[in-house]
Amino acid sequence: MKVAVLIKQVPDTTARISISGGLVDEGSISKWTISPYDEYALEAALKLQSESGAKVVAITLGPQRSSKSLIDAAAVGADELMHVLYEGDTGSLSLQSALAAAVRKSEADIVLAGKQAADTNSGSTAPGVAQMLGLPCVGLVSEVKVVDGNFVATRSTSSGMERVSVNGPCVFAFDKGDEELRRPNVRGIMMAKKKPIESLSPADLGVSMEDGGVNVESVGYPPEKPAGQTFQGAASASEVVTKLREEANVI
Amino acid sequence: MGYEALDFYDVDSLLTDEERMIRDAVRDWVDESVIPKIENACREGVFLDEWRQELGGMGILGAPLKGYGCPGLSYTAYGVICRELERGDSGIRSFASVQGSLAMYPIWDFGSEEQKEKYLPKMASGELIGCFGLTEPDYGSNPGDMVTKAEEDDDHYILNGAKMWITNGTIADLAVVWAKLDGVIRGFIVEKGDEGFSAPEMKGKHSLKASVTSELVFQDCKIPKDRILPGVKGLRGPFSCLNNARFGISWGAVGAAQSCFDSARSYAMSRIQFDHPIAAYQLVQNKLAWMLREITKAQLLAYHLGVKKDSGEWVPEHISLAKMNNVDIALEIARVARDIHGANGILDEYPVMRHMANLESVKTYEGTHDIHNLILGRHITGIQAFTREA
Amino acid sequence: MSVTIVSEPHEEGMHPTLPQLVRAASIIGGSCTVIIPGGNGADEASKIQGVEKVIKLNGACFSVFDSSTWSAAISGLVDGTVLMATTPIGRELSASIAAGLGRSVVQDVTSIAPGLKLERPSYSGKAVESISVSGDAVITIRPNAIESAESGGSADVSTVDSGENLKIAILEAIAKAGERLDVSEADIIISGGRGLGDQSNFEKLESVADSLGAAVGASRAVVDEWGLPHSMQVGQTGKTVTPSLYIAVGISGAIQHLAGMRSSRYILAINKDPEAPIFGVADYGIVAQWEDALPILHEAIKSLP
Ligand SMILES: Cc1cc2nc3c(=O)[nH]c(=O)nc-3n(C[C@H](O)[C@H](O)[C@H](O)COP(=O)(O)OP(=O)(O)OC[C@H]3O[C@@H](n4cnc5c(N)ncnc54)[C@H](O)[C@@H]3O)c2cc1C
Ligand SMILES: Cc1cc2nc3c(=O)[nH]c(=O)nc-3n(C[C@H](O)[C@H](O)[C@H](O)COP(=O)(O)OP(=O)(O)OC[C@H]3O[C@@H](n4cnc5c(N)ncnc54)[C@H](O)[C@@H]3O)c2cc1C
Repeated sequence: MKVAVLIKQVPDTTARISISGGLVDEGSISKWTISPYDEYALEAALKLQSESGAKVVAITLGPQRSSKSLIDAAAVGADELMHVLYEGDTGSLSLQSALAAAVRKSEADIVLAGKQAADTNSGSTAPGVAQMLGLPCVGLVSEVKVVDGNFVATRSTSSGMERVSVNGPCVFAFDKGDEELRRPNVRGIMMAKKKPIESLSPADLGVSMEDGGVNVESVGYPPEKPAGQTFQGAASASEVVTKLREEANVI
Repeated sequence: MGYEALDFYDVDSLLTDEERMIRDAVRDWVDESVIPKIENACREGVFLDEWRQELGGMGILGAPLKGYGCPGLSYTAYGVICRELERGDSGIRSFASVQGSLAMYPIWDFGSEEQKEKYLPKMASGELIGCFGLTEPDYGSNPGDMVTKAEEDDDHYILNGAKMWITNGTIADLAVVWAKLDGVIRGFIVEKGDEGFSAPEMKGKHSLKASVTSELVFQDCKIPKDRILPGVKGLRGPFSCLNNARFGISWGAVGAAQSCFDSARSYAMSRIQFDHPIAAYQLVQNKLAWMLREITKAQLLAYHLGVKKDSGEWVPEHISLAKMNNVDIALEIARVARDIHGANGILDEYPVMRHMANLESVKTYEGTHDIHNLILGRHITGIQAFTREA
Repeated sequence: MSVTIVSEPHEEGMHPTLPQLVRAASIIGGSCTVIIPGGNGADEASKIQGVEKVIKLNGACFSVFDSSTWSAAISGLVDGTVLMATTPIGRELSASIAAGLGRSVVQDVTSIAPGLKLERPSYSGKAVESISVSGDAVITIRPNAIESAESGGSADVSTVDSGENLKIAILEAIAKAGERLDVSEADIIISGGRGLGDQSNFEKLESVADSLGAAVGASRAVVDEWGLPHSMQVGQTGKTVTPSLYIAVGISGAIQHLAGMRSSRYILAINKDPEAPIFGVADYGIVAQWEDALPILHEAIKSLP
């Protein structure tokens, strides 16, 4: 069995995001990491590697700098590394097509990914790639196991958790699980440096990155919060709740 | 999430990719497994056994040694590891220094093939803990006059004497002990449980509380002949171990200093007195600027020493200078940081007083500050000033 | 122009976000069709002003959420822009439908203007993207970001049957454990301080937390004095948190506490002392005894639509 893990390199979640000229200023980002939910997907893939003898192929799409996330994946145990090298911005459709083509090329049986990336916060990639590969998708997953030849996943639902079974290839989108993420050790780090990265352009995969339709015109800072408001007396609590819903949009 | 270290001159950009990955792995481990547990460990005066296992699991023990299951990293990587560990606590770094540079190294360099195969892989994995017995109750800075001695007795050696201030002693599975055989200093491997050997813990330390410090007592201690280190005679044996450990300390001290700076900076930004954050006052800024200056210099010193150590173009005096300087400024930074914290600085809520107390030991062990002064003095003038005799 | 809304199945009739999606559709303009997988709440949906057509999409497959099967059942029925709500199901299903139709998807839109000018947060709210869409896209809209459409419509309701087969089988449903969210993960935190007077009053915070899906935090004073778990402590020597909403009840707002929570997106403070420093960082401050204010707050939360 071969497991593909889709990994995205994103600014560390504690990084400050500076914006200039309507764009996020990538140069000001000091630290890039594997998107947190992708790390849970990778951990689950490595579990399948140790428990079911799966081979793990880590796939990323992004500019040159993102190969670091593949090396990080190799350091904790990914067997193969594939980099779809693309410097530009991607729309959801072309991104998903390119990743689906990369998965096909890797000949993976199942695909694990994070439920959403820490930069775009969209959550479209896993279900989109599944659709393009003609596979089912199970989202908000915290665990995947192979049981009697089927994949059994635990996913969260609005009312709790569910164990679901899929009897063939599938895409699983990972939420934060209970698993502790493994840490690279020195041996892993030294081996990772020797692991070859298969680097492909979208064209090599026969995918065009032209993506009509959706255009990010500009990126800006969120609007300033209104000045603090103080209310006298307990009765104001219901007015405050209304404001939390309508003004702040947080409940 | 990730700790972002003070690195004003971007010195870490000079590291290799692997060195940076190792740094990140150790740094994350310190954030997750040391910092949340260290205060408690200090209060209880224990070195947590999980630290031993996890350090072994990361594969960083005996970092610069090659073969026999050892990591085979650069000295620079070893330095980086020490720096990251000591940002957590000098006691954790001490454990790693003693295990790698003082216990594994002499076996690796001076041991027999059988000794290397027997001990090194298990020491690299953390399964076996080692300690290093040089200092004696009456001989610290001048270990050459040690009185612990070994005598031949058929197919055994009999050791008699005592060592003191031995890091890891009580928890160690084996001790590399320096003793005189026919008046010549030799290294011996003594195992836990050997007849006539005991290692009682020294209690009551105000410093390095999360590190175990012990006496080693040898009363007609009987060890087989094959436990002598065949490859070295004289003070060169222990001193070559110390060179490596001191190298690591010169990096480690920078980690402790960074931790104190971080705490002082964030405290100064949030502590308001006379209507303003104390960071807004020039006297406090002066202190912070001085810390930044000294830390940056220490980082460059450590890095360049790493380059020299890796290229083989170094002399022990290079290491003396870096150990002396970096520990000295780290200790002073810890004191100034404590001052910036006001009364809060004496609490174990903040790391500064702990680092300060730890660094007092670090200043003394592995050659006291002044012994390194004397080493440099001899280097400059050609005149030894360790003794009053010519 | 036309808009198709896919309204997420809901146990108690129509999904509460549907009127908001209809409102969004009216901003885009053109005819508005609502598809309801499973068909629940179709009558209610038909009465929202602006809806032209309601399709009850029936089929055995709607008993289990299976995005690829559902999107196969739905895709053939959609026309024009597709709108869904940004819920876990909405995110997954919309992406699946979009990819199936060969379209782009824009998730979690918080503002929509004529000409399909959209705004959405990225980088966990640290940035906002302004997006323009030409052609037909699939869009999810953040719940409660847009006002609801009025009622008073009378749309046609029709039924379509789907024969799609599920690819996912449920083996076991596990009820939500009674476990509390951890403050470092929660999007809403309600914390109590010494002003609560007694540890037993934390139960009252907990029941508000349950209504909000929030975690419960505490100041250092009560963690120390009442022996609460350290994991609840917010502040310099506790957790640093950045939820969307932080509610401080009976907490004075000492600098060490502020250090752990002042970057929360919104802060609500309840304190009887108008001079309490917590009001200095609060977006909404209620000067009152918490014993009086908290029940009113809780009732108001429970009666939110
Ligand atoms: C926590 C801790 C852990 C340790 N771990 C180990 C270990 O694992 N293994 C081990 O072998 N040892 C260990 N040591 C011992 C350490 O190496 C010695 O303490 C150190 O070498 C100094 O010896 P001393 O304490 O006897 O001080 P002394 O040598 O008595 O020095 C006392 C003072 O006199 C000064 N002084 C000495 N000689 C001169 C001189 N000629 N001119 C001017 N000034 C001089 C010194 O600089 C110092 O200020 C440890 C010590 C500590 C505190
Ligand atoms: C080194 C150090 C680290 C620290 N770290 C932290 C930390 O991580 N987190 C932390 O929280 N603290 C920390 N502290 C402690 C901090 O300084 C404060 O002591 C603590 O936050 C006070 O907690 P409190 O707000 O619950 O209590 P108080 O300061 O006693 O405030 C109680 C508040 O409740 C209000 N009140 C009373 N009765 C009512 C009522 N019926 N209705 C409404 N309001 C009422 C009062 O007006 C008052 O403002 C630290 C302190 C030190 C020295």
